[in-house]
Amino acid sequence: MFAPCPCFAAASRGRTAARIAPRPAKRPAKASKPSPQRIDVHHHIVPPAYKALGPARDFVATWTPEMALEDMDKAGTATAITCIYAGSALAGHPEARRVARECNDYAAQLGRDYPGRFGMFATLPFPDVEGCLAEIEYAFDVLEADGVYTQTSYGRQYLGDPAFAPVWEELNRRKSIVFAHPHTPEVCEDLIPGVPGPIIEYGTDTTRAIASLVFSGTASRLPDLRFIFCHAGGTMPFIIERFTRLAKRKDHAEKLPKGVLHELKRFYYECAQAAHPGAMSSLLQLVKVSQILFGTDFPYRTAGDIAGGLAKCGFDDKALQAIHRGNALRLFPRFR
Amino acid sequence: VIAGCPCCLSPRATARAPLARSRKAPARRKARGNDSGRIDVHHHFLTPDYLAAAGPLYDSPGTNSLRSQWTPQVSLDSMDEGGVRTSIVSLSSPGVWFGEPALRRRLARECNEYAARMAADHPGRFGFFAALPLPDIDASLAEIEYSFDTLHSDGVGLLTNLDGRYLGDPVFRPVLDELERRKAVVYTHPTPLEATRNLQPGIPASAIEFGTDTTRTIASLVFTGTAARTPNVRYIFSHAGGTLPFLVERFTRLARRPGVPPLPRPVLFELRRFYYEVAQAANRVALASLAELVPASRMLFGTDFPYRTAREMADGLKKCDFTPTERSAIDRGNAAKLFPRFKGA
Repeated sequence: MFAPCPCFAAASRGRTAARIAPRPAKRPAKASKPSPQRIDVHHHIVPPAYKALGPARDFVATWTPEMALEDMDKAGTATAITCIYAGSALAGHPEARRVARECNDYAAQLGRDYPGRFGMFATLPFPDVEGCLAEIEYAFDVLEADGVYTQTSYGRQYLGDPAFAPVWEELNRRKSIVFAHPHTPEVCEDLIPGVPGPIIEYGTDTTRAIASLVFSGTASRLPDLRFIFCHAGGTMPFIIERFTRLAKRKDHAEKLPKGVLHELKRFYYECAQAAHPGAMSSLLQLVKVSQILFGTDFPYRTAGDIAGGLAKCGFDDKALQAIHRGNALRLFPRFR
Repeated sequence: VIAGCPCCLSPRATARAPLARSRKAPARRKARGNDSGRIDVHHHFLTPDYLAAAGPLYDSPGTNSLRSQWTPQVSLDSMDEGGVRTSIVSLSSPGVWFGEPALRRRLARECNEYAARMAADHPGRFGFFAALPLPDIDASLAEIEYSFDTLHSDGVGLLTNLDGRYLGDPVFRPVLDELERRKAVVYTHPTPLEATRNLQPGIPASAIEFGTDTTRTIASLVFTGTAARTPNVRYIFSHAGGTLPFLVERFTRLARRPGVPPLPRPVLFELRRFYYEVAQAANRVALASLAELVPASRMLFGTDFPYRTAREMADGLKKCDFTPTERSAIDRGNAAKLFPRFKGA
């Protein structure tokens, strides 16, 4: 494994630097460790209002809050910040406002039923901007949501699309957290027989959304928005050189007064489905450990799965604790 | 001292990364003297006929004006400047995938003969990956025969998809079977899925779509069993594998998923026998990930000339944590095994 890059992992000179040690140095997990009190920022729930929109895969259809709690307890997850398990059925649905509201009421109730165990990313009726603004007000002011959930794209509109600007401006005003979850764009469905969309297309759509936010100038214009991108940033870290090269173009450079790396390094990246050295070695060359968050993608993956994967990535104990809990606590202090 | 990252592109930033494993430092100094003899497996050429036919298709915002002024000498100058002894040339996207079938056949033949002439005119400096007029199978088989047996091509250059069909698609089977029979080198170059070409204003397809299309064609080759069926084909994927190394866990998990037909050989076996060239990915962020997947013996030097230069990629590689032995294998040794005719070049 490569040593950390001093430029990318900006805190290189000192104590907070990410130390990805060469493999032989990694220590076996100790059985007697105290619970890591993980905070899972990528955790799906199945609100009845959304499920009613269409058929779901079997293990989603049978989801209950108890299933979620059982998995959390098993792996030492203290709190999960929840989001709906899919968003595409909602996008453009004639009753999207109602369904989003019911999903949010459901998630908030879950938080009240199990105090301290569940936070929520509010569902918004994208691409209906007026509806989004109304739901933002309700979700934050009435339900005290921890942030909002969005898809990486809606049809051909990516997150930096000018049409969405009022939503981001309002969220920036609220210094909100935005959890951007990938999906498979329609034009990329069923490209390869036997290879489902999430395998390749999810990662790419996250990368497109990041590019959209950065190169449209949205990210630099709204510095109080805190974006969390799934799966270690999709594929963005791996193709970083494309981003840095593109940022030199005059039209882009004008919108990035602090440079493209400044924006990419201030985003947050959760590690569900990416808790393996192939992704983490790369992500860590780009961002500090402080930007990496624990996420599971439950019920598609388990907390034990992801925690086990992270343990094999060569992080030291301090870095692991920051990823498991400390970094998320700074974003969601109410779970302290 | 803060060492330089290729992305920060501080030109003279040093390779003396304070956090790099210290045992490498002395050897690195020695290796700096050996800045020549590279073999570039990702190097584009253009012919006047090709440009005339593909002109508007070949244009995309932000690309280098060099493409309209290219001559073999332009390549040689850049190769000399970047310590490249030999370039294996190929067409970039869209290859000959446009126009009428007759035009594709004519352009493939004309480009292959042009490349063969470059190789003859500049001994040891150029090899080539033959273009094929796919999806016309008979014409492609004929072009394989001609380019290998008469023009002595070093392999074939395929696009990652043709009209949304990836390389594991049954339509390509006879061609890959013939390439297997010949134990050929198959170089793949990304091309965007047509529907994703203009997804976002100001973001050319090469920035994001190229990488993902390489990953798609790797998935297609592996999960259709095509890779296992063509064990003697030496596949080279561009740009460090597109995005594959970053997503590798998705691949290994898919193979274990209930209901997915078992593959003859494990996914990782296939992924680890492929070759990956480093153009536009010769930086620590990408290669740290690639190095988790494959040993340096599966990495090849590539530049994507004329869009990028050998000097840029060589400097990028120097900033990565490879031992001098590994770097020399990436620069030349691994490719010399694939293309033995350039061993003494």
